[in-house]
Amino acid sequence: MITAIFFIASLLALLGAVGVVLFRNPIASVLSLVLVMFALSVHFLLLSAQFLFAVQIIVYAGAVMVLFLFVIALLGPGRELATSRLPRQGWLAVVFAAGFAVLLVSLLGNLTYHQPASTNLDLFGTVEQVAIGLFTTYLYPFELTSLILLVAAVGAIYLSREHRS
Amino acid sequence: MNWLPLTILLLPAVGGALLAGRGWRWPRMLTVIVGPGVVWLSFLAVLYGYFTDVNVDQSYWTWIKVGDFTLPFNLILDHLSLFMCLVITGVGGLIVTYAVGYMGHEDDPSYARFFCYMDVFVFSMLLLVLAGSFVFLIVGWAMVGLSSYLLIGFYYWRHSAVVAARKAFVMNVIGDIGMILGTFVIFFQFHAVTYHAVFAAMPKSDSGTLELAAFLFLVGAVAKSAQLPLHTWLPDAMEGPTPVSALIHAATMVTAGVYLIGRLHPLYDVAPYAHHTVAIIGALSALVAATIAIVQTDIKRVLAYSTMSQIGYMFLAVGVGAYAAAFFHLLSHAFFKALLFMSAGNVIHAMDDEQDMRRFGGLWRQLRGTSISFLIGSLALVGVIPLVGFFSKEFILGAVFSNPDPLSIWLWVVGFGTAILTGFYTGRMWWIAFWGKPSSSRPVAAPQEAPAVMLWPVLVLAALTIFGGALQSKTAIGFGTTLVEDYLRPVVGAIAWPANSLDVLLALATMVLALVAFGWAYLMYVPRVERRAAFLDGVAEVAMASPHPWNSRLPWAQTLLEHKYYFDELYDWAFVRPLDRLARWGDRGDRRVIDGSLAGVAGWVRGGGRELGLLESGYFRSYILVFVGGAVVAGLLVLWRASTT
Amino acid sequence: MFLDAGTLQIAGESLDTGWFLYLAAILFVIGAVGVLVRRNPLVILICIELMLNAVNLTLVTFSRQLQNLDGQLFALMALTVAAAEAVVGLGILVDIFRLREVEDVDELSELRG
Repeated sequence: MITAIFFIASLLALLGAVGVVLFRNPIASVLSLVLVMFALSVHFLLLSAQFLFAVQIIVYAGAVMVLFLFVIALLGPGRELATSRLPRQGWLAVVFAAGFAVLLVSLLGNLTYHQPASTNLDLFGTVEQVAIGLFTTYLYPFELTSLILLVAAVGAIYLSREHRS
Repeated sequence: MNWLPLTILLLPAVGGALLAGRGWRWPRMLTVIVGPGVVWLSFLAVLYGYFTDVNVDQSYWTWIKVGDFTLPFNLILDHLSLFMCLVITGVGGLIVTYAVGYMGHEDDPSYARFFCYMDVFVFSMLLLVLAGSFVFLIVGWAMVGLSSYLLIGFYYWRHSAVVAARKAFVMNVIGDIGMILGTFVIFFQFHAVTYHAVFAAMPKSDSGTLELAAFLFLVGAVAKSAQLPLHTWLPDAMEGPTPVSALIHAATMVTAGVYLIGRLHPLYDVAPYAHHTVAIIGALSALVAATIAIVQTDIKRVLAYSTMSQIGYMFLAVGVGAYAAAFFHLLSHAFFKALLFMSAGNVIHAMDDEQDMRRFGGLWRQLRGTSISFLIGSLALVGVIPLVGFFSKEFILGAVFSNPDPLSIWLWVVGFGTAILTGFYTGRMWWIAFWGKPSSSRPVAAPQEAPAVMLWPVLVLAALTIFGGALQSKTAIGFGTTLVEDYLRPVVGAIAWPANSLDVLLALATMVLALVAFGWAYLMYVPRVERRAAFLDGVAEVAMASPHPWNSRLPWAQTLLEHKYYFDELYDWAFVRPLDRLARWGDRGDRRVIDGSLAGVAGWVRGGGRELGLLESGYFRSYILVFVGGAVVAGLLVLWRASTT
Repeated sequence: MFLDAGTLQIAGESLDTGWFLYLAAILFVIGAVGVLVRRNPLVILICIELMLNAVNLTLVTFSRQLQNLDGQLFALMALTVAAAEAVVGLGILVDIFRLREVEDVDELSELRG
């Protein structure tokens, strides 16, 4: 059953990803991305990342994507023009991306993977464990991250202020 | 310390310098006084030297002193150089005085420029003959060439004048190269360059080195004296004003070659091949020039070829070793050729600057004075007793005839033939220009005789021409004086072979035949209707059934002579065109390769900048593409490193 | 498959770690293609988010495979930073859109040289 869940979720993720790229309407793209995020959060769950599963849905799909939708609503959906100014961009992108894919695969294949001893996974990925890691070992990055958020908030407000000309 | 040579030399230099510096702002009177004045002052100094019998080799200053080699600035004032100075300053003074009137129509700055150049020329020529070493000889030689260039191209706004000046200068430079290389050979052989040192050490027997030096100096002499094959510049040099033609291209500069061989006679006496070549060149030049003169229509060009021919005689004389004969002919030629040029100048002046003889005609009646002076000059040229030309020409021909060398008799034949041709072309010139009826295309119907300032130098020269024979009559007619020979003997030696008893007879025969040729020209060129001497017509009726001009019977000869034996065309094809092509190729190379490479580098930098600029297109998506591409490359590198380690 | 990263025991069943990695790689490449090809600036930002998500998946996969929680924490940080970056990016876009209607990111090409 786990395998089945994995493959369904993977399929949804892939479909969503393809949809992100191919939909003309940006709203549809956003919604496809939301689908991807949901699928990925299922994967997180499979991988014993319960906290991330929740955070992914609440924060990413629930806040960031909503933000995107708000902005799209604010600026208008927009339609892309038929002709592009960079005619070769399309197939070059595919070529490079394919190359990149091949590269990734071969990179992945060339790694020697570390196999740890079996340990107890009962408390792996729980909120408590995440909190312990976040507030003890990684306190400094945690504080920096909050600083980043502060900067982003200030920046967003500043950038979108009304210009008086 | 004898200052006389330096004084003689520097007086014209002072005049030239003053005129160059300030002359263009002077009133005309001042130019008239300074220009000819310094030449006359120099002449007085020369006379002083003659009468005090100066004979000095004076060094004024040491220029180079390296180890045991010394090059002084020394001037040699012996009989030979004094003789030349007399010609240069005396005849030169007369001509420059004549020019005061002839160039009168120029504006003041141009007038001053003319006399400045003339003074510079006189100075250069004096340096040439007074120099006591090969080095300063060459300095004078080159400066004379420069002066000639400046004076031929005096009317620099005329294209033909500029071209002629350049031609003269280029050919002179060829001669200069010969002179310089010859000096190198002399230095190599003798390790000294003063005449004194070199002649003292001159070996008695011939050697390859000496022959080489002699030939190289011969190149210089041939170029300067307009002998075959470097003669093509002389007729074109007539583009200069007539006084220039008189002074430079008749009396003095073109005789520098003769002086050179005379001065270097110790060298030529021991280098028989070169010595014979001198004589052969002289004889051939004399003949060729005389034939070309027959078809010339410009009066100055006839005189130019005549000059080339007479200098050929001088070369012939120095070539067989009759140095005194050559210098006497130099003197007499200076007299009568200057006379001819100045009379021609008077005619041209009166004819409103027309030089084509065929448009003159009948000047005998209108310009009596000039016609007579021209006739005197012409008869001297032909070699008619008692004019000086007879004595000098027969001196040469007699010396050549009696020379025991087997080559000489052939040279004498050429000289003899040339004398007859001389009579012919001179007669042609005189009859066409002065006799008969005025030409229908005459520019001036009633020409005026020249003003006094232009007449009296002519009269002086005419007197010198008439009485000059008294200087050296013995060699031509068997009795009388040998003043020139005696005067020059200390320097050039006596004639080494006895005179032949036939000399006098041949001299008279030459004269008679030349006169006959002079008369023949009358029959050929003065049309029947214009002849006034009826008895001659009778002779013509008897002598020739119907007198046709020779050129209608031999049209190919006419063409050949009119084209001056195609020398100019030959030189153009052999030298001028290849050099032109070479220059064009070099120009193309310079522009394409050198400029191109420099511009190319600049272009590459600019182009490279432009190409690089394309990378910053402003398109975000292009940048991203490059990112991804870079990431792929980086990844490949990692893989490759991982696989090899 | 091409790689051997071991297996994960999830609720009694085994799943190959490689599957997850490949999925993440494919998602990442799809996101990259989207960034390269799409011309609407908003969509480009969305594709970037997709790429970030793929990375998160990789991180969590390795975290599970190595049984080290650091991977999840890193993914958490990455998520936060992604959010911040999306906010700022959108702010800039809003500012640009004030001047003109941008339908094609190629129009924003004045920084050329």
